[in-house]
Order: sequence, then C-alpha cells, then structure tokens
Amino acid sequence: MKRIRLGWVLGLLAALFLILFPLYILFKYSIADRASIVTGGRYPEPLWPFHPTFEMYRYLVSRGDFWAAGVTSVRIALYTVALSLTLGAPAAYALARYRFAGYGVLIFTLLSLRLFPDIATVIPVVERFYKPPLSALPVEVQVALAHTLLSLPYVIFMSIGVFQGIPRDLEEQAAILGCSRLYTFTRILLPVAAPGLAAGAIYTFLLSWNEFIFAYYLTFTNPEGATLPVYLLRVMAWTPQKNLLAALAVVISVPVILFSFLVQKYMQAGLTAGAVK
Amino acid sequence: MGRRQRLYMWLMLFPAFFYLVTAFGLILFEMVTISLLYGPPGAEVYPSLGNYAEMLASPEFWAALRRTTVFVVIGTPLQLLVGLGLALLVHREFRLRGMVRAIFMLPIAIPSVVTAVIISLLFSVPYGHVNDLLMGRLGWFPRLVSAPVNWYASEPLALGLALLGKTWRDMPISMLILLAGLGSISEEQYEAARTMGATSWQQFKYITVPQLVPAMASVLVLRSIEAWKEFIFPYILAPSFPVLGTLIDHAYHVAKRPSYAAALALVLVVLIAVTTGVLNRILRFLETHLVKA
Repeated sequence: MKRIRLGWVLGLLAALFLILFPLYILFKYSIADRASIVTGGRYPEPLWPFHPTFEMYRYLVSRGDFWAAGVTSVRIALYTVALSLTLGAPAAYALARYRFAGYGVLIFTLLSLRLFPDIATVIPVVERFYKPPLSALPVEVQVALAHTLLSLPYVIFMSIGVFQGIPRDLEEQAAILGCSRLYTFTRILLPVAAPGLAAGAIYTFLLSWNEFIFAYYLTFTNPEGATLPVYLLRVMAWTPQKNLLAALAVVISVPVILFSFLVQKYMQAGLTAGAVK
Repeated sequence: MGRRQRLYMWLMLFPAFFYLVTAFGLILFEMVTISLLYGPPGAEVYPSLGNYAEMLASPEFWAALRRTTVFVVIGTPLQLLVGLGLALLVHREFRLRGMVRAIFMLPIAIPSVVTAVIISLLFSVPYGHVNDLLMGRLGWFPRLVSAPVNWYASEPLALGLALLGKTWRDMPISMLILLAGLGSISEEQYEAARTMGATSWQQFKYITVPQLVPAMASVLVLRSIEAWKEFIFPYILAPSFPVLGTLIDHAYHVAKRPSYAAALALVLVVLIAVTTGVLNRILRFLETHLVKA
C-alpha cells in the first residue's frame, strides 16, 4: 500500500510538471529580454529572464493590427454564440421533451458530422463563400456561419441536459394560465435555463476564439479579417522573435484559461458528448 | 402528443437541423463536383476523374498517406495511455483534487496554435531549452549530442513534435471519458476483491480493465478520427513532411488547385468513414469476447 501511494504521488507530480512547465516556459519567454533569447550559443537560455520586461506586451498594445485582430475575434465569437444559441436552444428543448422515432437518427446525425475533417470541409465552404451571393456577406459573418457548423452539435448536446433538468410542471402551469407555447418558451423556460445555456455559450465562445482552419481560409485574401490565432501565425511567419510570439500567445490564452475555469463542469459534457453512455 | 404539439416540436427542431443538414449536404455535394473538375485554368473538363488518377500516380500522396497512417497508428494508443494515466491519478479522493483536475484540463483550453508555438519555442534550433539540455550545457545533464539537433529537418523528429503537441493538448478529452468509465465501476467489487485478498495489481487487471473496455473503445475510436483529421500541428511543426491534412492545404494555397484539394479532401473523408467503421467492428468483436473471458 505504501509503495502504491509513493508511486501515485510521483506520478501526480510528473503529470503536473508536464502540464505546467510548458505554460511556465511560454510565460517566461513573453517577459524575456534580448540577452535571454539571443544567446549565440555562449550560454544556455536561462529559466528566468536576466532582466524581465513587459516590453513585448507594450509593443503589442501599440500595434493597430493586433487590436483589429482582437476585435475581429471577439465579434466572430459573439456572432457564433448568438447564432448557435438561437438555433440550438429550441432544438435541444424539443429533443429533451419529446422522444420520438427519429430521436436516435438525429443524435447519430449530430455526431457523425464530426467525422468530417475541418481541413476537408473548408475547401467547398471557401469556394462557396468566394462566389456570389455569399461573397457579399461580411467576412466576420462568413467565419461565424462556419464556426456555427462546428459548435451547433455541441450546443444542442449540452442544452438537452439543461432542459431535461427543468420540471415539466412549469410548462403545464403556464398552459393552464393561458400562456401560448412561444410565450412559455421565451419568457418562462429560457430564463430558467439561462445559467445552463450560458455554459454552452461560453463553450461556443472558446471554440470560436480558438478555431484556426476556417478563420485562416476565409480571411486568407483579406488580412483585415484575421482573428487572433491567424494573426499569431502571420507574426510567426514574419518574425522568429521568441518573446514577441510568446507575449502574443499569452494574450490569446489568458481569456480562454479564465473562462474555462468557469465552465469546467459543463465543458466536460461537451467534450465527452456521445462518448459516455 | 397532439398534432399541434407535434408540429410545434418539429418547428423548434427544424432551424438547427436544416442548417446542419443543408450545410453538410452542400459541402459533400460541392466536394464531389469540384473534385471532378480537371485541367488547366479556363479549359477544365467536367466530369473527369483526372484529379484522382493524378493523385494515385503521385508519390507525394502516398508519402502523405503513409505519414498520416503512422500518425494514427502511433498517436491513438499513445493518447489512450496518457489519458488512462491521468484518469487513474485523479480518480481517488484527496485534498486539492478539484484543483488538480482543473489543472489537468488546462491544455484543452489553450488554442492549438498556441500549443504549437510553445513546442516550437522549447524545441527551437539551434539554441533552445531542449537543445541546451541535450548538448549538456546545463551541467547536471549528460551531453548526449555534440551539435544542436535540427528537429524540423528530420521526418520522424518533426512528426514526433507534431504528435507531442497533439497528445499534450488533447489529453484532457481522453482523461474525461476514462474518468466517466472509472466512475461507473462499483466500489463494492473492489471491496469484495480485497476481502478475498486480491492485490492492487490484480484488482486493476481483473476489475478495472475489463469494465473500462467500453470507455477505452470510445477513446480509441474518437482519438483515431481526430488523428486522421489532424492539420494544425503538422502544418506548423512538420511543414516539410506533409500529412494528408497539410497536403490539402498545399494543393489549395500553394499549388492553387482547388479541384485537386477537393479530391484529396474527399479521399480523406472516405478514409475516415471506412477506418472508423472497421475499427468499430473490431472493437465490438473484442468487447464481446473480453466480456466472456
């Protein structure tokens, strides 16, 4: 028993190191001064910068294209959230309340969509969006429409549970009091479901914020429309400067790390959708 | 359920499913039609199987297919093992368990592009932390190589880095699925085994593993799909050694041949569907046989 315990503690420490060390290294590079990253091979790179500096962060916030990418990322993510919830919440409600013959087929359809690789679906999607009438849409809307394809199955999955948790009595009472179905859904059920749906919303926000392939393809010919991950890759192609890349990577990751702590419990449901019986 | 009730339900379902089904229907349809377009710009022939003929005759395609297969065959069991390790570590009561679990979830929160940047920083050439370590420049570690390793010039090393990034970022997913599986095994069985004097290893072998088979099968199927689909890590970390995902991008953005890219994309979709089906069959077969034993 003692030996198992020791092995477990060592394993836990190793796993924590494996996860936290790369994150620490990213942070370290983001505050590194020049001498700490350009060593010329005369000395090993230090594990803590010789002269920590926030110079790269200051440089980033002084750049207009960085802000533009940030605003684009936020906008696309918000559009995606709005679209996914508007389409997903009613569908989840119907699936939660009524078991019908097609239920299994619908769930199967939702899941099998994930068989399509993004790098494959993006080709016809981009070809479509380059031609009228869809080319008339603002590029941010185009990316949001594509992101909704990815998020919608998850939003529906996560929200089914939320609606199942609401007692049916609520709707029955509302019906007795003479509320229409639409009124019941929008004014009574949605407010009750809101906290659970918020988790789906945050999950969608993160998915869109982190997504690379669709954002990259749809903004390829239009640098103005770059999201932050696409911007990071552009910077990477343009400079190998480690501290600048690291600072940008930190800025992109911090909001998602904070958000993900908030929705841990629900993210679990999204990530394991369909895998657990 | 009354007729009006039923109509109402369909109306609630319709927008979401209409959106998904039309979009994916159109995507598949366009993928096929675009891929049947062949020839120099302005003088394309339709329908033609030219793209497919060219693909089958191209050594790049076969090389990419081979790399992707290796990526899947090594990456999938690796992700299962890593996920199982993490799940076993946190599947027990201890103080700070919530916090440790939250830390274990961190990798999935971070964008893949950022993970790839972290790896490229750690493994930078010629001077980076890993090269410093391997060259014995840190003092406490033996000198293993005499010159800096160029990770990106060697096929196994570059793809290894891509696999490292993929595994690191996605390990929480496998962990969560396996944790759910571990949670469904009843504590009573372990108690019974302990009263009969079973060692921890015996408990693991005869109680945990057999009952974890469905969760492990889920992990294998889902992770193998993701491994076939992989694009971003090989794209950033192994640009000189394309897998199928990067080959599609190359055909589209570098060679400027959307129709060839669409043909590759369709081949990838079919490949995933077929291998997933086969893997599912094999796992189901194994499952029924393991349960008997």
